[in-house]
Order: sequence, then C-alpha cells, then structure tokens
Amino acid sequence: MTHADPGLLRSATGAKSEAVSPDVTPRAAPGLLARLRRDWWIYLFLLPTIVGYGAYTVYPLVASWWYALLDWPGFAATGTFIGLDNFERLMADGLFWNSFGNSLIFLICAVPLRVGIALFLAILLNRRKTPFKGFLRTLFFLPVVTTGAIIGVVFTLLLDSSGPVSIALVTAGLLDSPANFVANTGTSLYAGIAVWVWKWLGITMIYWLAALQTIPDDVREAAMIDGAGPGREFRHITLPLLIPFLVIITLIDTVGALNVFDLMYTLTGGGPSFSSEVIEIFIYRTAFGATVPQLGYASAAAVLFGLLTMGLAVGQAVGVRWARRATGAMK
Amino acid sequence: MASQRTTTAHPSAPHALSGSQRTIGRRQVLGASGAGAVALALAACTGGGQSAREASEAPVGDGTLQWWDQFRPLTGTFEDELFDPFMSENSEITIERQQLDAQDLGQALQIARRSSQLPDVHSLAGLDSSPAALLSNGWFQPIGEFADFESTEIADQLLDGIHRFDGELYSVPMFSGRWHENVPWYNTALMEAAGIDPAEEPATWDELRDITRRVMDGADTEGIFVPGQDPAYLNQLVTRLAQTAGAPGTIDWTSGEYIQDTQPFLDTFEFLKSLLDDGLLHSASPSMGPRDARARWAAGEAAIYPWGAWFIGGLMVDEPEAVERGISCWHLPGPENERNTIYSGPPGGVFWVSADAREPEAASQLLHRMSTREFQAALARAMDQPPAMLEVVEEADVHPAYAECISFFEDDVLIAPSPEAGQPGVWRVAAEMRDIRPHAGDLLQSMLAGEDVDVKGGLTHFRDAVSQERDRAIESVQKDAEIDLGAWVFENWDPTRDYEQSDYDAR
Repeated sequence: MTHADPGLLRSATGAKSEAVSPDVTPRAAPGLLARLRRDWWIYLFLLPTIVGYGAYTVYPLVASWWYALLDWPGFAATGTFIGLDNFERLMADGLFWNSFGNSLIFLICAVPLRVGIALFLAILLNRRKTPFKGFLRTLFFLPVVTTGAIIGVVFTLLLDSSGPVSIALVTAGLLDSPANFVANTGTSLYAGIAVWVWKWLGITMIYWLAALQTIPDDVREAAMIDGAGPGREFRHITLPLLIPFLVIITLIDTVGALNVFDLMYTLTGGGPSFSSEVIEIFIYRTAFGATVPQLGYASAAAVLFGLLTMGLAVGQAVGVRWARRATGAMK
Repeated sequence: MASQRTTTAHPSAPHALSGSQRTIGRRQVLGASGAGAVALALAACTGGGQSAREASEAPVGDGTLQWWDQFRPLTGTFEDELFDPFMSENSEITIERQQLDAQDLGQALQIARRSSQLPDVHSLAGLDSSPAALLSNGWFQPIGEFADFESTEIADQLLDGIHRFDGELYSVPMFSGRWHENVPWYNTALMEAAGIDPAEEPATWDELRDITRRVMDGADTEGIFVPGQDPAYLNQLVTRLAQTAGAPGTIDWTSGEYIQDTQPFLDTFEFLKSLLDDGLLHSASPSMGPRDARARWAAGEAAIYPWGAWFIGGLMVDEPEAVERGISCWHLPGPENERNTIYSGPPGGVFWVSADAREPEAASQLLHRMSTREFQAALARAMDQPPAMLEVVEEADVHPAYAECISFFEDDVLIAPSPEAGQPGVWRVAAEMRDIRPHAGDLLQSMLAGEDVDVKGGLTHFRDAVSQERDRAIESVQKDAEIDLGAWVFENWDPTRDYEQSDYDAR
C-alpha cells in the first residue's frame, strides 16, 4: 500500500487533515454522472435560481454592455455598431455629469444620515426603560413597506409651499415666506434625501437592533460595575463591538442610495432644471423620454453607473471579509 | 497507482485527475448550468438583434384583436360605439383593449416591437418620433386594401408623408388638427363669487392679469395653474403664447430657421415672469404635473388652468362634480387686442395597424368606422381632443363649454405646413436628431422655481444648438436621402389660411 504525501493531504483536506493518520488513503472524488445520480435533487432545486439569475441578471448585464456600443433608436429593431462613440458623447454631456454628481451627493449625504439616525433610534429602542418599544418599532418600520412612488406623490403635497411643512416653518418663524422644497433648485435634491432617509430608516434600525442584541448583557454589566457611565459604556464597549456591523449596514445602505428612481421621479421628476436629476432618471429620460429614444446612449450611461455600483459591491465583499475577521478575532 | 496520480497533480487542485478519469467539480457544474441558462435566455430573447418575426411565418389570427391606447376618457366611447357593435356584427372577432399612460405605452410598444408582440392596433403615445421613421423600421402595414377610406368624409385630410407613404394608406386622422393645448379653462363659481361676470373675457395678457387678481381678491382663492414639474407642458405653453404674440411657431416657414429667441418668445417669458412676480400663479404650481393641477383645479384651489380640450372630458370621468359646479373657457389671450393666429400642424394618424397584426382586416375596418360621421359624433360627446370632423360638435350632445372651446379653435387656429408632408426624407433627419436640453420649457421651469434666468441667453443657446443639431442630422442622412435645409422652407405659406395638400404640390 502506498502512502499519500502528507503535505499534499494537508492542502487537500484543510487544517483538519493534520489530525488524520498518514495511513489513510484519499478517495477519488466521484464523477459528475455519479454525483448527479446521487445528488440530483440538489441541482434540481438550484436550477430555477440559475435560470432566473441568468435571465434576469446576467443577460441584461451582458446585453447592456453590448447595447452601449450601438447607435440604437428605440423604435428600430437593430442598432448600428459605433464602438465607444456613446462613451465619448457621455464624457462631453454636462447633463450626464450633473446627474452623476447628484447621485454622489445623494450618496454622501443620505447614507451617513440613515445609518446614524437609525443607530440612535435602535439604541433608544434597545433600552429596557424605553416605553412602547414594539409600537415605536412598528411606527418607524411602516414607511419601509410603503411604495416609494406613493411616498413621492404624498411628499410632493407635504413639501410644497402650501403644505404643512412650509406652513409650520413659517409659523415657527424659521422661514420668512412659504417655500416649495421640492420645486426649488437649491433644495429639491436635499428634499429627496430627507424623504429617502425617512422612508428607509426603519429597516436600518432593525439591522442595528439585531446587531445590538448580539452584544452580551454581561459585558455591559461588567463595564457598569467597573464604573463606566452610559457614555463610556457606549464608546468603549458597544461601539467597538458594532463596527463590523457598521461596515455591512453602511454598504447595504450605499447600494440602496443608488436605487432611488421611483421616489425621485415622483417627488421631483428630476427638476427643477435638472437640479435633482439622479443618474437613474437621466438613463430613463434618455431611453424613454427623449423625442427619439437612444437606447445605446442610455445603456452606455447605465454601464458607467453599473461600474460604480460594481465597485461598491467589491467594497462590500471586502468589508464583509474584514468584518468576519474582526468578529473572529474578538472571539 | 492512485498515489502516483495525486502526487503529480498540482497541490492546489488535489482532486484534479488526468486523462479519462478527469471529473467535473460542483462549481463547474453550476457554471455550466448557468452558462446554459444564459444561452437559452439569449436564444429566446431578440432584443438588440433582429426581430423574431423576421425568422417566422406571417401571423395567423385566432380571432382576437389586441388594441392598445392611452385614451382613458374615451374608454366608454370605444367600448360602446366601436368595439361592441363591431363584435356583434363580426362574431368571430374578439377585441381586447389595454389602456396605458402615454409614457408607459411608449415603453411597452418599444419592448413589444422587439419581441414581435405588438398589438394589432395601437396609438403612438410615448413615441414622439416621426411615424415615417417607425414605418421605415417595419412597424406598420397598409390599411387601404381592406376598406375604402378615400370615400369617407375625412378623405380630404389625408396627406402624403403623414398618412400615405409610397401611395399606400397607413393611418387616418381621428382628431382635428385645429386645436391647441392651452385653452384657459376657468371655474365659473369662483368668478361669480368674486362678482365677475363669467362672460367678461380677457382679450389681452394685461386683462388676464387683471381678472386673475380680481378673482383672487374676491373669492379668496389662488389664481392660475402652470404645472411646472413637466417641462414638455411648459415648452408647449411658451410656444403657444409666443404664437399669440406673433410667432408662427418655433420655425420661420419663410426661411426654415429656428426662431426660439425672437421677440414673441421673449415677450412670453416676460409675461409669465410678471404672473409669477405678482403672485398670480398657484403657489404650488412648480411642483405639480398637469394631472395634479387638474385635480387641484377640480378641488377649487385656483380659478384658471390653461390645458387642452380634453380637460373637460377628463373631468367628466374623474371629477364630474367640478363640471357641475361650473366651467367655461376663453380664447387664449395675446399681448394686443388684435388676436394673432395659432398654428398647428396637420392632423396626424392616431391609430396604426402593426406589422405583427394577426387580424389586419378587422383592424382596418375598425379604423374605417372611426372615420364615419356617427363615430366622430360619439367622439365629440366624449369631449376629448376635437374630432376630425369639427362640424359634428355643433350637433352632438356636449357641454356648452366644450362646444365653445371648439368654436374658439375654429376662430384662432390654422393648419401650418409640415416638413414631413412636404418632402420624403425629412423623417430621416427627425429620427437622427438628438434631444437638445435645456429647452424653453426647462428655462421656464427654472424661472418658476425662483431662479434668476438669463432668458435671452438661454433661448439663443438653445436655438443655436438645435440648428447645429439639425445641420448635423441633415449631413448625416444625406448619403441615404436627397435632403437639405430647403425642406423646412415654405415660400408659398400664407399666414392667413390653412396650408393644404395643393400647397405642398405647388411648392
């Protein structure tokens, strides 16, 4: 009987192999047909996901890259290959960069607000002394399950110059005259950010509540016994333990902040004067709202936008790995 | 021997075997399955490639005729006056209608076209490009062989390049070309509450300002809706008001040049700015779309709303109590007492029979029925866009305000030349031209939002940009079509009468 090389065995079976006797001979993996016969039900259950992912994620992604290279009016069955001309046009299109900038501003302002306010609420609702916790959690979560387009329409009324927000601010002396927050070039984007943060606060708060409940009470109690007040306990105990969750929650919210079409389209329509036109509205307007729909050009914009979100996804993956390592190190 | 094989394998791939014993891992199975699924999906989809129709046989009907349009107020008219009678006479045909919002319809049609699922009959809402461009891309089929359209009462409105292409008829006008989008509709109850005689009509912009101020003071209400969230609405409003100030439109037909930065357009902006500065516009106007404004007009929030003839038909469907309360309209006032003419293009085809139609004969016969006096009268009763036979409105059972609106159109609106009707090939330029933004509607939107707008600079920039874009588009299509700037010049245009087929022939 021949023996397997111990070094190879280690790399083949992982660290646990080190405990395995070198006398054990590795078995050859069964062939595909044998495994299909044995585990056919696993592949059967996977098939719908694979088909769905292929049809609704991979195909549109690949197709949009191809379309980005075409001059393709929406009414024509085919487009004409023009290489990178669409990207060249995009580089010189001020409205594209305006919408790109608006999306970045949205991201930079909205994500910290959503993450920070949700953490604050979660801490309050995680305290034993807080009354009506269940009711308040439901209250904050309600906007999450409300359609974005409906919220956009309702807030158009709430935030216009005859709406209650404007009237309240004038009555309180904070404004000299009524203001239409969604129809002002200086405030429309920020009105969208505020409404988006309010809408999605509840789900981020739930993430934080789940994270807070992973912190053992005895750690906190030990800190209290050692004389730490609520502030020091939060700074030195709770916050460090929440950092791995912060990374994940921030990245999830960041991706969410790049998908705001329904809300912004119904709230401001991208206006006035393109002041709140985020990249998704730009793509939609170019593809479907133009006199001659430009599917190739819109696809090129979507590809650039896709590259940005892909970068974020890679960041998320790195963040998750880092969080896992950090969690493992704490154990 | 197994150990010898494993020792020759790369350490990082311990299960990899050589020769005939090579196996496939789970990841490879998943990858292969995924690739197969994608390949299947790609094979099934036709987007970006040729239409699936190109590789298939001509469609065979199963007796179901699909019909898509955006005319919600006409639902009853279509069902009661067109579809039901047709189906009772043709029991083998079932008509299935889908009503979509205009923009949704445009998207749905684009997608349906690429997957060869166009309905038998559809309108072109949301597809603002030239019907000729769509025709050249194989969207439609002719209808003349299935019904005698030349003997209908609207035959004189059929134009080459608009309805007829290469001698084949593809569509017919359902609505009149004699209309505009900015009829000043007003709430008579508010006027009466303010002590204003509803018959008192503001002929000029100054008089409109005055009457608005009086109704606001007298009835404690807001003044005029100008829904600012929709740049297309604003763009149209600017053009129509500029026409009341003497502009022929956005093009000077005697030279073919764009004229968006001329005095009538500047006067229009000045007038609208004065309404804003005087507080005569509804304060929430900048954040409203046209339909929002209609709902808020119906709720009595403001007295006046300039919108199309369909305003009252829409109210009859959604807010009939607002019509019962009291509604009427005025001519669109101009800067001077002497009213200038409003020019609209010739009426286009509204419904088209798609190349994918499975029941083209039945579809053509339905379009023929729409060209009859009976259906045109039914159309008038729905009080939507004015029917192609305007004269039927007088005989139809319509609200007096709608009848008045149509009579104002007859007073004020003339049919303008259409470059597409004048020269085949213009559609190629239209299809090649890219949108230029910001346009006049965008500038007005900024102004309504309180921005300090350089109107003259903005309009001149737009005029220059759109002129350059047209030049580029002409140059781009010249290899396929004989066309030049002359296609936009109509030297025989007489501003005092309609431009007709004979005028095109005489160019």
